[in-house]
Amino acid sequence: MGKRYRAVIASVALVVVLVGIAYAGFGATKTASVLLSGLTLAALYFLLAAGLSLIFGLMDVLNFAHGTLFMIGAYVGYTAFGNPRLLLNTLPLFLALLAGATAGTIVGRPLRAWEQAVRRRLTAGEASGNGREVLRALLARLTPSLLLALLAVALVLWGVRGFPLDRLVAFEATATGGAIPTAEAQEPIPRMLLRLAQMALAGLLAGPALARERREQGMWKEGMLAGAIGLVGLLILLARDPLEGFLLGLSVDLRFLLALTAGAVVGALLGGLIERTLIRPFYGRPITQIVLTLGLMFVGTELVKAVWGREGHPPMTVPSLFAESCRSESLAAWLTEHCSSIDVLGRAFPTYRLFIIFVGGVILVGVGLLLRYSRLGMIIRAGVQDSEMVEALGINVRRVFTFVFALGSALAALGGVVAAPFVGVYPEMGGIFQLQAFIAVVIGGMGSYGGTAVGALLLGLARAFGDVLVTSGIPIPWAEQALRASPAVARASTVLIMAIVLLVRPAGIFGRKE
Amino acid sequence: MGKTGLPLWLRRRWPGLVVLVLLVLFPFVAGLAMGDPAGVPPEVRGLGRVLALAETGRAKFWQGMIIQVLILAVFAMSYDLLLGYTGIISFGHAMFYGVGGYVVGILLKHFEWPIWAAVGAVVLVAVVQSLVIGVLSLRVKGVYLAMVTLAFAEFFYILSEATDFRQYTGADDGLHGIYLPPAISPTDHRTRFYFLVVAFFVSMYLATRRLVDSPTGRVMVAIRENEQRAATLGYNTFTYKLIGLVASGLLAALAGCLHATFNLGVTPSVLSVGTTIDVLAMTIVGGAGTLTGPVLGAAIVHLLGYWLNRIFGPAWTLMFGAMFVLIVVFLPYGIVGTIQARSLQWKAGWQRWLQLMGVGAPRSKA
Repeated sequence: MGKRYRAVIASVALVVVLVGIAYAGFGATKTASVLLSGLTLAALYFLLAAGLSLIFGLMDVLNFAHGTLFMIGAYVGYTAFGNPRLLLNTLPLFLALLAGATAGTIVGRPLRAWEQAVRRRLTAGEASGNGREVLRALLARLTPSLLLALLAVALVLWGVRGFPLDRLVAFEATATGGAIPTAEAQEPIPRMLLRLAQMALAGLLAGPALARERREQGMWKEGMLAGAIGLVGLLILLARDPLEGFLLGLSVDLRFLLALTAGAVVGALLGGLIERTLIRPFYGRPITQIVLTLGLMFVGTELVKAVWGREGHPPMTVPSLFAESCRSESLAAWLTEHCSSIDVLGRAFPTYRLFIIFVGGVILVGVGLLLRYSRLGMIIRAGVQDSEMVEALGINVRRVFTFVFALGSALAALGGVVAAPFVGVYPEMGGIFQLQAFIAVVIGGMGSYGGTAVGALLLGLARAFGDVLVTSGIPIPWAEQALRASPAVARASTVLIMAIVLLVRPAGIFGRKE
Repeated sequence: MGKTGLPLWLRRRWPGLVVLVLLVLFPFVAGLAMGDPAGVPPEVRGLGRVLALAETGRAKFWQGMIIQVLILAVFAMSYDLLLGYTGIISFGHAMFYGVGGYVVGILLKHFEWPIWAAVGAVVLVAVVQSLVIGVLSLRVKGVYLAMVTLAFAEFFYILSEATDFRQYTGADDGLHGIYLPPAISPTDHRTRFYFLVVAFFVSMYLATRRLVDSPTGRVMVAIRENEQRAATLGYNTFTYKLIGLVASGLLAALAGCLHATFNLGVTPSVLSVGTTIDVLAMTIVGGAGTLTGPVLGAAIVHLLGYWLNRIFGPAWTLMFGAMFVLIVVFLPYGIVGTIQARSLQWKAGWQRWLQLMGVGAPRSKA
């Protein structure tokens, strides 16, 4: 443990020395605002890096799609906040597909079971040399469920053909909290019902491919679930106009909360789905998983571009808590005045950025408590140490994997929504933040939760000071001119920090030596 | 067995020889089939006419495509030396490729070195660069190595974009207008350049094949399979990994050098992570751990990218990404890798099918 504390002391000392240099260079006022800027960035990096680190620590998966989930979260939150009409028109389609697929797994189970049985008999059939057995085995190779799934894909494509997406995505107007797409942008209910039916049918056809063999119990339960999902989708569609009026009638703050929730929920669902369908079959083959997540990164980014356009959008409207155009004297004054900026030692600092720092802190403490004190957290920590051992103890570690993947994705997506009023939304934001989050995780030590927080902090501060170095330069006491750098140096600074840390401690500051 | 006549070495190498013959014949066939007759004076006859036709129209374009594929194939092979043969996941391979391109470009354009000296300098720089980066980064393993190499590559990328060196690198505009001796200019003598690249590709393929089949290459594979075991057997695994990295870096730098001379320019995007991801995709699609795999992967990715781009416009990366995911899920060892792994099974299945149809000889029951 002695080494661990040495690392803590060293990193604290490094931060103190850096801050001290800055303080000597340009006084308390500027140092404070640079520190706060650094903390803002650090909070965002942390929201991404926490999931990356947990996912890597527990499952050894380097998730290159994490930044994409961050970006998707930002877009979903932005949409839920400013343009609920788009969500209310697309959500029923997804729900119908999901309901169909859930029902399909029940209906398709016998087909799947037959297929598996024939496939198992394949080896026996081949050995027997019996012509009919071999023929049946060859037929099973063609896998009817796969053909049905392909048919389902075609049906989905047919079902979304002509969907007026471009008219429903009207962002430029909504970015300032203003107009929403016109009523004509929505398709009439009967047409939408037809699309819903197509989606449900597609899900039903894909069912056999998704079905798992030999699960007889819980069938009626799943049937109820399918019905419930379908019903919810139908109700959302039928009540889309009142719902929209209701959502837009809510206060800005409530809508912001809704955006946060929507982003996090979509992130969690996507993360869970990715883990269950694409990551799970490939545990123990890290290269395949890396390449898969890379592919997902491409697909996700392009899908977002296809839906929301290739151009970015200006920062989202901030909640009313941070909206009044004035400058509060202190935090207490801000609570009553709701000013957009606050006085920090004589300089204005945007209050929304304090909110970002606050969210980062809450998540840091919340997930930390979950890991430290809950049973689930105990299993996760044990899994990071040795997941095979945890499995041997009779714990369903696979389910924990899915949970952690979903949790990490939810955090990333939440980070995206939180970032949207600060940096806006654009398709490249995922890659940019992801690279920094990677570096933060590597600096801190892969799989170490506390290390990730320290890494994110170091990186955020480094970026903030790097920006000062570029814009105004850092005065050196013994030199006449301030030390200035080209933007390239500021960008390279985080990379250099990572290289130095890794050369001194190859497993990161808090990482365990392999 | 019944096959006689063909010497053993020919029987084992015929696919490669066929590809070589096709590559050599391609400019002539393309010249006849796709050349633009209006671009060639009528008095030119015979072989000269075919060669002149090859310099025109779509024949010239498709030679360019194949040149690019071959350059990328060498690049992908170099990546496979690391990923497929030594088991090192590097995310910074673009730095060797890009630096090779920048070195030859700067030396030819700003210092007006002769081409042989510039290529010599590329070799020297690549060896030194990969030695330094290898010594620094091979201290760590696995994902950490991926991250360290990513960081080093990012460093070179930022360097190429930095405004401080604009006079040499052209900063974010890139380096353009590289001067090449007119005799091998890719714009005026496309066919000559084509044959140069084919010769380069074939020699690099043979050299790489020689390396992976050598005792050194076998040790590299042993490290990929189980580094501890290789170390226990007495091999200094660090040295072998360094050899792998240097060979790979050298190959990549030479490919980058040809990339720069073919395009008569280099841009910072060549040094970006995207280039590494592309080469990773080529290697994975073709099959890591085989030499023909990356070559096939380079051809597929480059040509597919071209066609998808023509059909779908800017949305082609969506199609590409989806295809990529499908290939990884359904052909986890890449095209060549999966074929190699399954060929015995397929052979047995095919024979059984023939037998079933009553064509093949019935299996003798022992």
